[in-house]
Amino acid sequence: MFLVASLIVNGIILGLIYATIALGFSLVLGVSGVLNFAHGILFALGAYMYWVLKDLMGFWPAMVGAALIVGVIGIIVERVLVRRIYGEDPLFGLVITMGFAMAVEQVLHMIFGAAAKTINPPEFAQGVLFIGDMIIPYYRLFVAGFCTVILGGTWLALNNTSFGAIVRAGMYDSEMVSALGHDLPMLRTIVFTIGTMIAAISGVLASSIWSLKPGMGAAFLMPSFLVVLIGGLGSIRGTILGGLIIGLTTSLMSLVIPRFVDIMPYVIMAVVVYFWPRGLLGKQNILE
Amino acid sequence: MQIKSITRDPYLYIFLIFALYPFYPFLGKFISLGSELLLFFIFTLSFNLCLGYTALPSFGHGALYGMGTFGAALTFLHLTPGMGIECALIIGGIAGMLGAAAVGWVIRNKKGIYFAMLTVAFSQVLFGLCWRWDEVTGGESGLTGIARSSFLGMDISGSIPYYYLCFGFFAACAIIIRVIAHSSFGMTLQSIRQNPIRATYLGYNTGFYKFLVFTLSGFFAGLAGALYCFLAGAAFADIFDWTKSGDVVIATLLGGGTASFYGPIVGSLIFLICKELISAFWEHWLLAYGLFFVLIILICPRGLMGLCDRKEQ
Repeated sequence: MFLVASLIVNGIILGLIYATIALGFSLVLGVSGVLNFAHGILFALGAYMYWVLKDLMGFWPAMVGAALIVGVIGIIVERVLVRRIYGEDPLFGLVITMGFAMAVEQVLHMIFGAAAKTINPPEFAQGVLFIGDMIIPYYRLFVAGFCTVILGGTWLALNNTSFGAIVRAGMYDSEMVSALGHDLPMLRTIVFTIGTMIAAISGVLASSIWSLKPGMGAAFLMPSFLVVLIGGLGSIRGTILGGLIIGLTTSLMSLVIPRFVDIMPYVIMAVVVYFWPRGLLGKQNILE
Repeated sequence: MQIKSITRDPYLYIFLIFALYPFYPFLGKFISLGSELLLFFIFTLSFNLCLGYTALPSFGHGALYGMGTFGAALTFLHLTPGMGIECALIIGGIAGMLGAAAVGWVIRNKKGIYFAMLTVAFSQVLFGLCWRWDEVTGGESGLTGIARSSFLGMDISGSIPYYYLCFGFFAACAIIIRVIAHSSFGMTLQSIRQNPIRATYLGYNTGFYKFLVFTLSGFFAGLAGALYCFLAGAAFADIFDWTKSGDVVIATLLGGGTASFYGPIVGSLIFLICKELISAFWEHWLLAYGLFFVLIILICPRGLMGLCDRKEQ
């Protein structure tokens, strides 16, 4: 009983992390129509920047620093690479971001080596919480809370600010947004940068739960795909739902069929895509 | 008129160049590279039926190729041990076709980016399955010890006979794919690429056509994969990795598959040779490989053939 309960709690925490990583990916896909394969590597860059900065300045400044550095890289990537392929064949965006991701992964290899690095959680979140036989590290609770704040904050910003309204309109019909006099290229740059910074912050949070490897970006890219396909595009609630479904599936299925646990989210994705072509909570968007 | 049209056909020159490959002074020594090139040509031509003719941005073709490889390897090892490879090749092609049909049916009506995302996601399923299901696929160590024996009674264990077997398959596939592309079916596909809405209003069931072409393309990809398994003598799970799908996409784009029929062949020739050269000399060749992807999209997204051949525009 406690085993199932702890798997559920872990699944929810995992799901919130997946949803946070997928948030930036989904926003960029919605507003710019680009499948950003570089999202995973920007997440990994965030984690590595944190590893470099944390001993110099401590947890919070290092997190802000990592987010800012990776945000600047995001602006450069958007301005130099991704901008050229707006409105082109979707494979162009996919190939160019994938090429960038592979190149940066090799650079990480060259600088930091292939060996995995572990990072201890910050001091204020060390230790574990006991509930009966259930053990939950405080750090995981902190990460879950922080992810909830990011997701909730983005949801509020999208629904209650005028900038959020423009972003939502951009997902629905970007040409019309442009025709109404809003600076669409700027909007896309801003959304890309915000998405990148959220990815970097998730990288910082995830770095103390899993270890740091150059390939970690690629490993967390696929869950973002699944979150968007299951939850649907253009809806934050869909992203959270998608993340929770994947987190809980991965966690609970490890009890039932431990070997094929990585495949189960894909099976759910196939079922969802067959019956709900836009994903569970997806809205009509520029990709249709 | 007939002779003129044949001598002007770029195919003739491609066939002539590769017919004599094993006897070239320097390249002749790298005979398995030659066979690999031919198989990759089949693979890119099959992919180009999707991307170039129908504008289906498939990013999971590597998985179809891998299904062919594993289909053939498993058939050869378990169903027809010690016999010729004919049966294994056919089953490899059919495995690719069935995989494409299953995925294609689910995603036949998806557009552009969704199509690409779904092909990526489905190819990841096979990757995971292949790694985990190790009593069948061998998991991390793969399936080894596939010694090719004979094809229709001919001994093909040497590298030159196998090269000519690949050449025969390449020539046959290239001709069949071109016949398909220039048939009324191919014309329908091109109309779907140019204006899917108009094609629908003209009464074509565009979803069904996309499903058909994806399935057909899966057959040729699977066949190329099956031939590859006998070339390498083994089947490993990394064949399902997305870099395989990336290779075929970039080779087609580099050659300009969207603008010309034989572009993918030129593209794969340049791409594979560059890849072999760089990976032989530099440990961090993936850095150059990634930058190569970026540069191709930035400099010539329409491909090399797109630069010289502008009749489509």
